[in-house]
Amino acid sequence: MKILKKILGYFISLRTAIWLLIALICLLLFGSLVMPGHEEFQALHTVALFDWMQEMPISITWWLWACIAVLSLLTANTLVCSIESLIRKREARQWLLIISPQIMHIGFLFILLAHLLSSYSSFKAITYAYQGSVFPLPNKLEVRFNKVNANVDAMGYVRDWSADIEYFKEGKTLSQDRILPNSPSFMEGLGIYIKTVKVAPFPVAMIEVSREPGAPWALAGGILFIAGMVTLLFLKIRQEEPDES
Amino acid sequence: MDNMLLALAIVSSAFYVFGYYRMPFVYAGLILQIAYLFVRGITLDRMPLVGPHDTLFFMSASIVLFALPVAWRMKERRKVHHASVGMAVFFIALSLLYKPHNSPLPPVLKTFWFETHVALSFFSYALFGIAAILGVLFIRNREREFLVLQYKAILVGYCFFSIAMIFGGIWAYLAWGTYWLWTPKELWTVILWLYYSLYLHARLSPWWTGKPVSVLAIAGFIIVMFTYLGVSLFMKSSHSF
Repeated sequence: MKILKKILGYFISLRTAIWLLIALICLLLFGSLVMPGHEEFQALHTVALFDWMQEMPISITWWLWACIAVLSLLTANTLVCSIESLIRKREARQWLLIISPQIMHIGFLFILLAHLLSSYSSFKAITYAYQGSVFPLPNKLEVRFNKVNANVDAMGYVRDWSADIEYFKEGKTLSQDRILPNSPSFMEGLGIYIKTVKVAPFPVAMIEVSREPGAPWALAGGILFIAGMVTLLFLKIRQEEPDES
Repeated sequence: MDNMLLALAIVSSAFYVFGYYRMPFVYAGLILQIAYLFVRGITLDRMPLVGPHDTLFFMSASIVLFALPVAWRMKERRKVHHASVGMAVFFIALSLLYKPHNSPLPPVLKTFWFETHVALSFFSYALFGIAAILGVLFIRNREREFLVLQYKAILVGYCFFSIAMIFGGIWAYLAWGTYWLWTPKELWTVILWLYYSLYLHARLSPWWTGKPVSVLAIAGFIIVMFTYLGVSLFMKSSHSF
């Protein structure tokens, strides 16, 4: 019982949060310095993080494993602190002031969950498509590039581009769509992106197919974080003296 | 046209220098800076937020824009104004060392998410700069007022920065199929966000109150500058277009 209380006390402590944040900052700082020096990190853009970490030697990945360990402790710390704060201050008058940091915490945890899901099962593939190209997709569909469009200005700059695509399942058309920069097409969990085009000798588009299972969680986390943050900001900025939350 | 605009930028910094004697010169300098950005925006048919020239100039204007309301009700507001104006002039001078980026935007940058991501990032950098100034002033004068306003500046800056990061994630997801890229720039952005999260938590602990949090805010702005300029200069990043 005493040990349990000690562990709980450790996770409730603000000092724990501070030291975990310092440790995480130091690890990421180290990572940012070693990344440019190792070519292996280039592959991180094409495979899921956990697959990459299992393939690479520990001498390169140790700081990422350490980050995961620190983030796990920070998750426990955030959860326990939020619950404890809500219980301790449940009868306080300014409930909005008490709940808004906890909403931010939940948003942060959602974003961590998003990264966890994406690190486990994201998918990315790059290919080149010209008019009439047909590609099989990992979700058992097929996509055909009916047209690759490019808008070239008088100076010779390619100002804009797009591609008209058509989805098929077992030889039957499912739907048609147009993909543009910043406007991908989504179908059954997969996104199809047009990255760039080349117009000569004939139009060819660089296409990326990706699956990011954490994206909806990251968006939900972002919305919760902003909602909590803006509420806290309005309440705090009105106060002359900073208040404890 | 470019020379006329350049003259406008130089005159605005001259006005800021005169602002050390009379406050209306600071307002005039800010109006000229905004006019410069506005004319460039109209000329380019986009927000002037690409390349070090535009972004440094935008940050400089943002510093003065936020320093005025932050110091509005302060007893010692002249000290804050003087230091903020000094910082703004420094960034104008730095921006003039870089050639303005006048070519059309790549299609991937023509989106609401990009423009708000960059504008909010520089608003937050400006507020973190003001917080660093308030940190220096607290260490020198030991007036609690500086500390209170430092916290408020960081809280607003942190809010802008968080929204900028989320908007950046949405933009990256729509442009590249992922909301996160493993590049040094992204790592430093997260380091910066975690650092100011650390500030906001540390100030609740009695040990950190006073001088330690002031030092944290000053060091924070060094991290801001490295994230903004250092990473682009020394490390390959997704933010080079």
